[in-house]
Amino acid sequence: MDQNELMTLQHYMKEYGQQAEIFVGQMEMLENGRMEAFAAIDTLEAMVAADDGTVLLQIGGGASVRAKVLEPDKILVSIGAEVVVERSNKDAVEFLKERIIEMEASQKKVAETLDRLRSQMNEINKRLESGYQQAVAAGQDQE
Amino acid sequence: MFGGLKEKLQAARDRLGSSIQGAAAAAQAPVTTGTATGSASDKTISPAAPTFADKVKVLVLDRELIVSEKDISDALSELEMTLLESDVALPVCDAIIAHVRTSLIGKHRKIGQSVDALVVGALRSALLEVLGKGFNLVEYIRTHSRPVKILFTGVNGTGKTTTVAKIGAYLKKQGYTVVIGGGDTYRAGALEQIGVHAERIGIKLIQHQEGADPSAVLFDSVQYAISHKIDVVLADTAGRFHTKSNLMNQLEKIRRVMKPDLVIYVDEAVAGNDAVIRAAEFDRTVGADAIVLTKADMDSRGGAAISIAHTIGKPLMFLGTGQRYEDIIPFEPAQIVDELLGSDR
Repeated sequence: MDQNELMTLQHYMKEYGQQAEIFVGQMEMLENGRMEAFAAIDTLEAMVAADDGTVLLQIGGGASVRAKVLEPDKILVSIGAEVVVERSNKDAVEFLKERIIEMEASQKKVAETLDRLRSQMNEINKRLESGYQQAVAAGQDQE
Repeated sequence: MFGGLKEKLQAARDRLGSSIQGAAAAAQAPVTTGTATGSASDKTISPAAPTFADKVKVLVLDRELIVSEKDISDALSELEMTLLESDVALPVCDAIIAHVRTSLIGKHRKIGQSVDALVVGALRSALLEVLGKGFNLVEYIRTHSRPVKILFTGVNGTGKTTTVAKIGAYLKKQGYTVVIGGGDTYRAGALEQIGVHAERIGIKLIQHQEGADPSAVLFDSVQYAISHKIDVVLADTAGRFHTKSNLMNQLEKIRRVMKPDLVIYVDEAVAGNDAVIRAAEFDRTVGADAIVLTKADMDSRGGAAISIAHTIGKPLMFLGTGQRYEDIIPFEPAQIVDELLGSDR
């Protein structure tokens, strides 16, 4: 394996690494979105369960206040395309559950792509290592 | 690709169909009663008289039903929600609903005629209207003087450089000679990246060192294409947000120096409505002649692909659908609509 081939393989590794980083970022975004949706479902269900509609409202820094929700069955949901619609509590929970399913499907696709990228990177890594070993062996022979 | 939207459209289409079917059944009901009465008095009519079957046929099968607003208003509201949930931009959603409404309401439909065909026809023409005509790059190159200079712009990290390589490979396959201008001299490693792509697909790359003036690189690329009789120059540029005035000024300079025939805006389909908003901003500030959406294979909603052409009035040219060079498909509206609604209908 000559020097040029080694350099090309290093470039490939770098490029695949950058692509993998982008996909890892997407996975994180999807996971955050999924967790947010779960938290929203918990809150919506807790609002119904609480007789007087009192919930704990987090205000940051680990602090919370007791807040009374005036209309626990009128939920404003951002449904996409920057449009917000009013839904009943039950419909909002259904909507969020569907969103979670969508996000999980997207996560699966991104994970598949990441796996493909990683296996290509492993392959290149193997070739790189064998190239380095050849280069070291050639250097020792010359000495 | 766009699996979620496909499923939702199927549900909306079934809902519209059943609404019309329901209205048809209601209209048919008195006729059936009439038929029963007819049977009772049938004894007085000669058995050989052929007019009875004809009458039933005329009354039941050939009778016209006029679809009213009331018949489909609920189903149209559901369709509207379906589109919005798929991140289809509000004005585009309105256009689709208006088109479907106009296509269906007041329509004289024979009761024997397929409701599904009627609904699919209305949805198909509405989607085709908002998707526009697409952009045939090969046809454009064929009919313009060479070299055809294509400048790629867009925000960071959407796959612009990879798209340049994919389009290069696509044009090479179509029999055109291509040179790539490495105009992203800003991002660390960008020149290496495009260099690897160019080498893999066997296309000449013109580049200067990192940090060089991109206008100079792209000017040299055009000069190279002229002197070597190359058909197409693909000019890669650094990703930028429209709010960064220094980078936008740089893009303006590139435009003045390189005089591109086409400016292509590249963004990712998974960004949904954000991609549509960004494309509109770019079009306002630097202009765009066509759009490429990447990562369409990971986009289940399809909102950006449906909305972008209608919102900014510029055609969608390609969809990026994977990691390999051949994973790019020319955007053909009829084919996309067939994919969404099923071509067999």
